[in-house]
Amino acid sequence: MDELYLDNIDEFVNDHNKIVTYKWLSLTLGVHVNTAKQMLYHYLDYKRKESSAQLHATYLVSGKFVDNGQASHRVSVVREDQLEDFKSKMSLIVSVHVYSVQKALLKDSCPLYSVDYDAVKDNLKNCSRYSAIRCASAVPMSSVELRQVRETQRAPTTETENKKSDMNGDASSSKPSTKPPKGIMGMFTNKAPPKNQDKEEIKSDQKENAPVADAPKSKPTGKANMMMNFFASQATRDKTVKAVGAAQSSTTEQECLSSHPEDKQEAAKVEPQKETKKDSRSKNKRTEDSDSEEEKMEKKKRRRIKKPDPDSSDEDVIPDSPQQMVTREPSPSPKKETESVSQPHQGHSKTETRKTRKVLKSRIFVDDEGCMVTEKGYESESYSENEDDLQATKQAPKDPVPSNISASSKEDEKKSHKKTSANTNKGTKQASIMGFFHKK
Amino acid sequence: MTTLTRQDLNFGQVVADILCEFLEVAIHLILYVREVYPSGIFQKRKKYNVPVQMSCHPELNQYIQDTLHCVKPLIEKNDAEKVVVVIMDKEHHPVERFVFEISQPPLLSISSDTLLSHVEQLLRAFILKISVCDAVLNNNPPGCSFAVLVHTRDAATRNMEKVQVIKDFPWIVADEQEVHMQEPRLIPLKTMTSDLVKMQLYVEERAQKT
Repeated sequence: MDELYLDNIDEFVNDHNKIVTYKWLSLTLGVHVNTAKQMLYHYLDYKRKESSAQLHATYLVSGKFVDNGQASHRVSVVREDQLEDFKSKMSLIVSVHVYSVQKALLKDSCPLYSVDYDAVKDNLKNCSRYSAIRCASAVPMSSVELRQVRETQRAPTTETENKKSDMNGDASSSKPSTKPPKGIMGMFTNKAPPKNQDKEEIKSDQKENAPVADAPKSKPTGKANMMMNFFASQATRDKTVKAVGAAQSSTTEQECLSSHPEDKQEAAKVEPQKETKKDSRSKNKRTEDSDSEEEKMEKKKRRRIKKPDPDSSDEDVIPDSPQQMVTREPSPSPKKETESVSQPHQGHSKTETRKTRKVLKSRIFVDDEGCMVTEKGYESESYSENEDDLQATKQAPKDPVPSNISASSKEDEKKSHKKTSANTNKGTKQASIMGFFHKK
Repeated sequence: MTTLTRQDLNFGQVVADILCEFLEVAIHLILYVREVYPSGIFQKRKKYNVPVQMSCHPELNQYIQDTLHCVKPLIEKNDAEKVVVVIMDKEHHPVERFVFEISQPPLLSISSDTLLSHVEQLLRAFILKISVCDAVLNNNPPGCSFAVLVHTRDAATRNMEKVQVIKDFPWIVADEQEVHMQEPRLIPLKTMTSDLVKMQLYVEERAQKT
């Protein structure tokens, strides 16, 4: 080895004011670490003989060390001035070599690490190339193996990443994901309904089959949104009116009876409001049965609106056609509801005397030109308390707006409470629900 | 959440954040290396993935933080030309001035994907240089104190006087004797050039310290 390296080291140490560690030197000059250690030693020796400007060195000392009667193997980096002192404390010295040479007097070990940091980082792949420590059984992976490992690692990573991104989305709204805010939901439904659906499914603890069934459904739901929204809002209005009507009833009997329905109403009121903003979501909340059935019903009916289906039952067909017409002018419906519902309450509180009342009824008939015509008018009719339920159910089909739902509710009468409440969202169920309770 | 595009980033703010973070580390390290405070109040911390020394004295830390908090708006607007850490002897005559000269390129842009890690590497080099600077400097006399001076561009000084970023933490015009040094000696320590910011660090040292 020529002596040129001495100039090299001298330049690093004196001109660049660098800390030259053996590791850094080995990586920089591409020599074995043991060679680098020797070079540093020679340099130090050479400079000391020259007795030129002050140079500081650190040494690495390893060996047996006895501390409080406990023997240990210790590896330490010590400053030159502490070297002899430290050596004398060691019971057995295994190795001593120059660790670094620098002009500055190091106050601590921090810079030593910093120096090596970037050198190692730059040669991360082969930082041990010049190392004296070898392991024969440690063979680098081939590129194919490496790719396989990466792929297996990637699968779980992407999943977590997806989750993360979801979290981020929610985080942006500063709300935890457990109760997604309406605004965000709206954004999701607009942009990507399927994704939203999936997310919801994960969160709401639904039946296992829910995801499968829901996934294809998501699109129809989205299409139906407009309709649903309309119904929902309508329902909300109706309910408020009804609630007032119920509150007006004064007798005690009525109170205890109505307390239950009122609760329902309260719940119903809240629910539809939610639905108007995030119908697709609330759908998922319902039980799978009701969901799918209603979905089907909904679809069926819509089809029927366009083209009456002779196969379906009469009950269904007749109310449907008025529905289409009424959707165009929905305003009268609340009025009618008020009358029909509030009056029964009053009647209910009294004895079973027969009374007469005015009811807004719509009639459908085919006129001479072959067109379907709906006429609305107030009719007086006599009724007793017993008739109330009947009245309610009867009226429901005639009631233009909610007709389709009431029809469906009829069919589903045997279904669970939950189902009924689900229907509530659509608006009509009020009448039918009341009837339900009165019967019992 | 939508990802930030490059246009969304406020580069001035990014630069100010990066520089103030770095200046805090640098000031602590200078105080440690130049033995302005006893080494007992310093502890090892990790910054830029390397160990650095940081003071544990709450009031000193607060002072440094407040100072940099006030410097930040200046850097954001590219109004700070130099940030100087002055070490003064007992008579309040400067013995050393660590000058961080900052300039931002007129058009900020990100041209490299590894930009931030590259900047980090450059700042790490600064840290390393500061930690070995005592090799090129003479020892300071005992009883030194320090101050932070800011050289502003144009009329930014007047705004600083008007608007106090931190209440009851006003900036005052530096005394002439704190700024001027007799027979200074210039020792360049480090320069860096990146797409975000250019910075050079040099030390002005008084020839006769004692």
